[in-house]
Amino acid sequence: MMELKQIEKSFSAGEVSEQVLKGVTLTIESGKLTALTGVSGSGKSTLLSIAAGLQSTTSGSVLFDGRDLTSLDQEELRALRAGSFGFVFQSSHLVPFLTAAEQLELMLKTSGRKLSKKAAAAEISRVLTRVGMEHRRNAYPDTMSGGEKQRIAIARALIHQPKIVFADEPTASLDSKRSHDIMKLLKDITTDTGTAVLMVTHDEEMLGYADRVVEMRDGLIG
Amino acid sequence: MNLAWKEMKKNKLKFFILGSIVFLVSLLTFVISGLANGLSEDNASLIRNMPEGQFLMSSDAEETYSMSVIDPGLRDQVISEHGGYAMSLQMGFLTDDEDRQTGVTFVHSGDHQVSNGRIILDESLQKDYQTGDHLTHEQSGTTFTVAGFVPQAKFSHAPSAFLSADDAEQITRTKASQLIFVPGSDELSVSGLTAFSKSEFLNTIPSYNAEQLSLNMIVWFLIAISGMLFGIFFYMMNVQKIGLYGILKGLGVKTRDLFRMMWTQLIIITLIALTASLSIGFSLNAVSPGDLPYLLAPATAFQLSAVFTLVGFFGATLSGVQIKRIEPLQAIRQGEV
Repeated sequence: MMELKQIEKSFSAGEVSEQVLKGVTLTIESGKLTALTGVSGSGKSTLLSIAAGLQSTTSGSVLFDGRDLTSLDQEELRALRAGSFGFVFQSSHLVPFLTAAEQLELMLKTSGRKLSKKAAAAEISRVLTRVGMEHRRNAYPDTMSGGEKQRIAIARALIHQPKIVFADEPTASLDSKRSHDIMKLLKDITTDTGTAVLMVTHDEEMLGYADRVVEMRDGLIG
Repeated sequence: MNLAWKEMKKNKLKFFILGSIVFLVSLLTFVISGLANGLSEDNASLIRNMPEGQFLMSSDAEETYSMSVIDPGLRDQVISEHGGYAMSLQMGFLTDDEDRQTGVTFVHSGDHQVSNGRIILDESLQKDYQTGDHLTHEQSGTTFTVAGFVPQAKFSHAPSAFLSADDAEQITRTKASQLIFVPGSDELSVSGLTAFSKSEFLNTIPSYNAEQLSLNMIVWFLIAISGMLFGIFFYMMNVQKIGLYGILKGLGVKTRDLFRMMWTQLIIITLIALTASLSIGFSLNAVSPGDLPYLLAPATAFQLSAVFTLVGFFGATLSGVQIKRIEPLQAIRQGEV
């Protein structure tokens, strides 16, 4: 599904340059939950953002659907993120003035997925039910708990049927019980829909849900 | 999905405050503009309400109508060649039977035919006098009978009093005229006389230009301030929402859709605020006290509204440059929006 080949990434500040990724090669498979783990500064979040087209590489290639993301311009990357990728962030990053259902409606429109109004409403209900949040469809983020917000964020990441969901520390701000709930949900999604999930976590308890665990150390796969 | 409207609905107070400021600044601008126009009418409605044409005064008058002397021979020759009529203006007082004095501008104008011994007054004097009243010009000892009233005929902040040529001669103690007015847009060249268009002539009236410049300067300052206010407010709002914009860009929302959201909010706020301030501005035309020279002209008000909208648009768009600059990753790492 996605191949990252010999990814290198360096950051420069004045004359000082730091190499965060030193030639990482990784394959992300459909229907699998791949967990990236490692200590802080090992390069796991940088690798995830490069795979998601949110950050450029210093060298190497990111192959997805026959295209190399490193050769795409900003508009092509935007269209790719909107149509084929889903995102779950550490903070849910929901739009504060939209209800749960409207968050999904916005993502549906942004992705360009063509559905009639009726079909879109049915799809939104289906996905909200899938994450156990149909009863909160008209709630605004400021009235939701952290776990509820993450469930809506997951629903938003899935509504347009992306091929890959990128999840950056999705359970970092949740307690243990809610973390397990969220992980079960992500795991079920990969199994049921064939969506690939690339997740960054430093929580060892959550690694049990992964089909594959990739440990990063000093910018390389350990 | 209308993101702009949904945000305004959820954050009513924030947008109400912004709209209130636009409303207050635009209302202040309309009121000042109404006063500028009102003062202008009060100062020179006699001239402003005349048709377009050329005002001729003697070349040695140094562009001051009161110093202009056009002798009867030259006057009659110009009028026979080019048409038009003579005009003379003289500040003075009229005294009624109860010894009350009223300051007026005596006007002899060829387009107001008045019989000897009769006088036609500006309608602003209708509250004090009526047709048939007797008024006296004490310096010349001439007594006039009020023959009627005409609308919007003020000059130099005083109501006009139209006289016959003979009566004007008695008051001004000269057969000469100050001005010749020739309707039409053709520029005239007459030896010994200088021609002025209507707007040029208005600017020769002492105080008219100074008044208008001061008030128009205030109006344009207010417009500049409102543009800055728009810019600052949208800048502050954009700074607050920069994380949100970054996240939306990260999810794949187009930058132009985010600009569209900002512009829609700007248009909604501006339209509501301008509708409210225009309504009050025009209502003041009807309810302002008679002694307050206030007249908000629709053409001016709508021109100012268009300028407001444009200035607001540029102010907001300049502040929106941040939307273009924000990197999604930067916003995602900044935490909660």
